[in-house]
Amino acid sequence: MEFLRQLLTWIANNLFNQVAILIGLIVLVGTAIQRKRFEDVFAAAIRATLGVLILFIGIDVFVGGLLSFQTIVGSAFNLKPPQATKTLADFLGTYGSAIALIITIGFLIHVILVRVLPFLRYVYLTGHLMFWISVIVAAVLVEAFPRIGTTSLVLWGSVIVAVYWCLQPWYIARAMRRVIGSDDWGYGHTSSAACWLAATFGGAVGSKEKHDTEKLKMPARLSFFKDVNVSTAVIIGVIMLLAAAFADKTLLAEQAKKFSATVDPWVWAVIVGLRFAAGIAILLFGVRMFLAEIVPAFKGISDKLIPGSRPALDVPTVFPFAPTAVMVGFLASTVTFLILMLIFGAAGWFTLVPPMIMLFFPGGGAGVFGNAFGGWRGAALGGVINGLFLAIGQATVWGMLANTAPELATLGDPDWYILVWVIKLITAPFAGS
Amino acid sequence: MTWAKRDPLRVLTVCGVGMGSSLILKMTAEKALAELGVPARVEHGDLGSARGAGADVILAQGLHTTELTGTAPVVVPVTNFLDVAGLKETLSQRFREQGWLT
Repeated sequence: MEFLRQLLTWIANNLFNQVAILIGLIVLVGTAIQRKRFEDVFAAAIRATLGVLILFIGIDVFVGGLLSFQTIVGSAFNLKPPQATKTLADFLGTYGSAIALIITIGFLIHVILVRVLPFLRYVYLTGHLMFWISVIVAAVLVEAFPRIGTTSLVLWGSVIVAVYWCLQPWYIARAMRRVIGSDDWGYGHTSSAACWLAATFGGAVGSKEKHDTEKLKMPARLSFFKDVNVSTAVIIGVIMLLAAAFADKTLLAEQAKKFSATVDPWVWAVIVGLRFAAGIAILLFGVRMFLAEIVPAFKGISDKLIPGSRPALDVPTVFPFAPTAVMVGFLASTVTFLILMLIFGAAGWFTLVPPMIMLFFPGGGAGVFGNAFGGWRGAALGGVINGLFLAIGQATVWGMLANTAPELATLGDPDWYILVWVIKLITAPFAGS
Repeated sequence: MTWAKRDPLRVLTVCGVGMGSSLILKMTAEKALAELGVPARVEHGDLGSARGAGADVILAQGLHTTELTGTAPVVVPVTNFLDVAGLKETLSQRFREQGWLT
């Protein structure tokens, strides 16, 4: 008995509590049941494991850039940088395995729900958002119930994410059909709240027939913004330079010195922007690597279990239907966010960080939905709504996740913030136990 | 129709960040190429990595294909990420233009 107990403890500590290894094992099982060849199964598991480790390295680089940005921009506004007791890396280190189980069990519950309730019809296949939604739901549950056990966390977490994956493509399906002109696939993206509002109120501000974005000609030079790595580096770098001009010079010199004793603080400001973008690129590369193994397995499972179901897909699948609306929504989002960044800073509320990826993808998506109902005016409205969500969401959710993974607030889409707000509100009467 | 190109085709599907829609497009492309009987290795990635990838074929949505022109001999804009039949038709036509499919 003693040996068995020791063995189980060893397995728990070394296989299940090491998120990289656990994800590798999940992929191993997932590809093995598809009866792939042994060497393919093995390679897939190794790639997924490497992906998780790369994700952690990316988070380190990204958080370093984020902290420098918040410190210098905060100082320019005479603000303290946002406070936190924990970091995303700590949180993923501690709860990463629970999150891996939430994605897996959550997906199975989701598939069963769609199978039992055919009107739901869409199977959510946007892998990276399945990962992030599981992370944010786990974080807010741990915030509400700091002593929550792994089993309860996994159980509640999987049910919540499964319900979200069922309802999100379903409630936006009507607007989605109008956008893509068919019911070939659903919309599976955490920008759905902004898209739905843009679709609902787009018609009130304009008309698709009179104001179609695709009749507009956008300056071709803006197109470099479509590369989110470039736009992140440029925007964060430019804001760092502006902030450096207003920031406390001693603090600026101190921070630059921490990076390198010989670097000029102005050059350091530019490097911060570049490192921030590099960190995000590494982080996303890691996520891409383990998803590439998981998503096809998920698709295989759902194709087998629910023939005739439709996939709910990532936001760029709507971009071809109105590419100009994407740019209109993105620009409107970015301008709105930057204005709010100035207002929030000047009012002393919060040091906002422009999240270029979330301004581009959800902003572009809301633009396409807005355009389908209200032309360019609807697209611009969608962009503004997304900008509002991102600014208010980041400023409010940072504090709500200060003891788990506050950096998630700077990586969020509209639905993430809504989930955090709603779970916070519902759990408030029971929280702390 | 026979495949005239000696090496297996290197295909890259591209989206903005290289995580979501390019992965779906990869699965669609794999199906289309298998139905065409074209030996191919399909990978997915982001805009940045597309430039140095040395792919024979790049598939992406129209928003990106303008920037990707010239990065591969065949660059195909895609509107419907699930449309295997449509992709098959476009690809076989473009392959014939290249002389890869005779």
